[in-house]
Amino acid sequence: MTFLERKIKNLGRHFSAGKPLAKFYPVYEALDTFCFTPGTRTSKAPFVRDAIDLKRVMTFVVLGLMPCLAMGIYNTGYQVLLARGEALRFGACVWQGLFKVFPVILVAYAAGGFWEVLFAAVRKHEISEGFLVTGLLCALIMPPTVPLWQVAVGISFGVVIGKEIFGGTGYNIFNPALVSRAFLFFAYPAQFSGDQAWVAVDGFSRATPLAVLSAAGHGGQAVPALQEAGYSFSNMFWGFIPGSIGETSTFACLLGMGFLLVTGVANWRVIAGCGLGLLGTGTLLFFSRGPESLAFFSLPPHWHLVMGGFAFGSIFMATDPVSSCATNSGRWIFGLLVGTLVVLIRVFNPAYPEGVMLAIIFMNAFAPLVDHYVVERHIRKRSARLAAFRGEAGCR
Amino acid sequence: MIAVFFAGLRMNIIQINKGRDIPLSGAAERKKVLCALPPVVAVQPPDFYGLRLIPVVKPGDSVQVGSPLLEHKDDRRVKIVSPASGAVADIIRGDKRALLAITVRCDGKQSALSFPKTPAAEVKHLAPDAVIGQMLSAGVWPCVRQRPFAKIAEPGSRPKSIFVQAHMTDPLSPDLDFVLEGQEARFHAGLEILKRLTPGTVFVCCPPSARSRAIQEASGVSVVGFAGPHPAGNVSTFIHHLDPVQKGDVVWYIGAEDVCRIADLFLEGRFNPRRTVAVTGEGALSRVYGQTVLGAPIRHLLTGALLESSRYISGSVLRGTDVGLDGYVCFYDQQVTVLPLGGKREFLGWLRPGWNKYSFSRTFLSSLPRRGTEALFSLDTDRHGGQRAIVLNHLYDGYVALDVLTYFLVRAIVSGDLEEAQRLGLLECADEDFALCAFACPSKFDVGGVIREGLKLIETEG
Repeated sequence: MTFLERKIKNLGRHFSAGKPLAKFYPVYEALDTFCFTPGTRTSKAPFVRDAIDLKRVMTFVVLGLMPCLAMGIYNTGYQVLLARGEALRFGACVWQGLFKVFPVILVAYAAGGFWEVLFAAVRKHEISEGFLVTGLLCALIMPPTVPLWQVAVGISFGVVIGKEIFGGTGYNIFNPALVSRAFLFFAYPAQFSGDQAWVAVDGFSRATPLAVLSAAGHGGQAVPALQEAGYSFSNMFWGFIPGSIGETSTFACLLGMGFLLVTGVANWRVIAGCGLGLLGTGTLLFFSRGPESLAFFSLPPHWHLVMGGFAFGSIFMATDPVSSCATNSGRWIFGLLVGTLVVLIRVFNPAYPEGVMLAIIFMNAFAPLVDHYVVERHIRKRSARLAAFRGEAGCR
Repeated sequence: MIAVFFAGLRMNIIQINKGRDIPLSGAAERKKVLCALPPVVAVQPPDFYGLRLIPVVKPGDSVQVGSPLLEHKDDRRVKIVSPASGAVADIIRGDKRALLAITVRCDGKQSALSFPKTPAAEVKHLAPDAVIGQMLSAGVWPCVRQRPFAKIAEPGSRPKSIFVQAHMTDPLSPDLDFVLEGQEARFHAGLEILKRLTPGTVFVCCPPSARSRAIQEASGVSVVGFAGPHPAGNVSTFIHHLDPVQKGDVVWYIGAEDVCRIADLFLEGRFNPRRTVAVTGEGALSRVYGQTVLGAPIRHLLTGALLESSRYISGSVLRGTDVGLDGYVCFYDQQVTVLPLGGKREFLGWLRPGWNKYSFSRTFLSSLPRRGTEALFSLDTDRHGGQRAIVLNHLYDGYVALDVLTYFLVRAIVSGDLEEAQRLGLLECADEDFALCAFACPSKFDVGGVIREGLKLIETEG
């Protein structure tokens, strides 16, 4: 037994039954199993088990988010210095970014963690690792200007209403991080929309690419309008644009996607479906444009991929296995519809220039319905197969 | 050679693509070793799923091979008999007086009760009722099990087909083709007798590489090879692909070695208690195929220093029973697995690269390609993590060789919707078919346990 193992074991005495801290046993348990694997043995078949556990799965999602976090920190600082007209030194960008982003993450984890612990203590179950992902996701989809108290209120709503009232991780209907953001978006629209939210400098106003196109109205041309506002395909792809903290860089999202797909943590069908749905609808609009149609119609479809939070949402949030579909065909349908809805909301709904959050939440609500029809089809195919066997046996 | 070639052509092969083999180290050498008769053997009522057994002997009673020890309360014709001659040593009971085992101290003579003999040429003319009657009275009947519910067959039912399991794909499982070598005549006679019991087909399900004459020269039956990873060798897989069970159907299945046991009953007029058990697993020093009797003590099969701290499993790691060093091999098991106990706590396990940690997922470095002996892993009984609600619901379907949506099946059972569970195919399943799901699940969810519960509920509630 190592020194640390002994120390933790000693600490555990205070959390045992009958001791004053007994109620907080889940906190001790979380710390204990964070440091050391539980070492529990199987008591019935299967006697051997895969080395993977949910801690590792969730840790890998967090690792997959690291490129977005790094890019988010850098870009937040970069946008600040750009707005102030200061020199864009790397170190200064990182420092400025950390100064803005770190408190948001800290508050998200602290407030979210508080509710997790509370529910674990009341319900007497172990603290689920899901909140490691929820906390970080929630922080990364906040605008850099967000007041910290709103982060705390948002994640509290997301964790409690989005997850815990359904029974905790594994039982939730909606993605809790998106519930947080949707709540904040509708409760505090001033801080979550408009042109002042996306660069962390007081009073500085710059429209996001989607807002630029939304404002361009009828008859405009999309690409020139974007270029006039200083947005090119490449700077949107690399992520040097204003936006929510973690969502701006498509490149960083793709790095995370590569990691999640190589390790098999995320399901590729959802991501592929999202991409195809978005490109398909984008293409349809592109070719049906007329001289008087919305400027959005003239946007080349692949530009949709790098704009707004699409890459981030489809890679890290639509793929949430609990709130998306649980059948393979269902995952395709889910993805395709998310992609389609993203474009439809972006283009046709002037009130919400960004459609990713709403599209995913909307499809979360419909995922069980999609699954229902896929399962019914499966059952019909099953009974047809069985009937075929019965027919054969009858002929014999 | 040519005969083998042609016989090979005759075999239908079904390719199973789903599932996966666990590369566990510690396979048994292909060597049969005749074990001495153990000093004591046991008959364990929990092995006989579906029977309510009551003892018909008292400690001290002398018994012969084939003497009844237990009877099924609901149908007294179904008996469990002694695999050895000697005296009843003990009747072991557990909680709530549940019967756990009857042990018999062997006298070494193996004197056997005698039953009517039938000449080999005559067995194909036996009446089905006569066959069943003799199997019941000699205690061979429990070798025959049925689907749905994976319980002992009901003597009154008529199966639409019978499956002979000559293929197992569990980790380190015995090569039944090898076990059957040298038992051709008995095996073929046993198949003839089984053919009397069904109006349908007798399927012999074997590895595609089966070379034994017992399988190659089997006639009048349908020989089908099942290729692919585990669970290609599960009974449910055979049945699902050849003659699936529907509501109201019954099929029977029986192990290959038990087919020989049936033949011995009719040809030689006695209960043959012989059982070949493969000794496997890292923890066993000498790993061979031991030829012993049913219900042999685990200790008797193992040689050399035995660690109290190892895990002694009757059966495979995926579906066996933890019987301990002082336990006995279960009735249907043809394998003993000795595993290191494991359970050492590791610092920051969730972050380790894990070169030596086996996982179906690609989240450990061990999933990089390996060669030779490196490709095998030594696994212990560490559960590797705490139990959680199911999160990664896309994992299960890749490991089940049946046409079922595992996650939805589990959900239907847990929510008590048995009708939906049956529509999703629960009747085709047994808990063992989901062992790989439970193995792979990061939430350590007991998938097989839920399936077993569901089957039990349907059986009792109809």
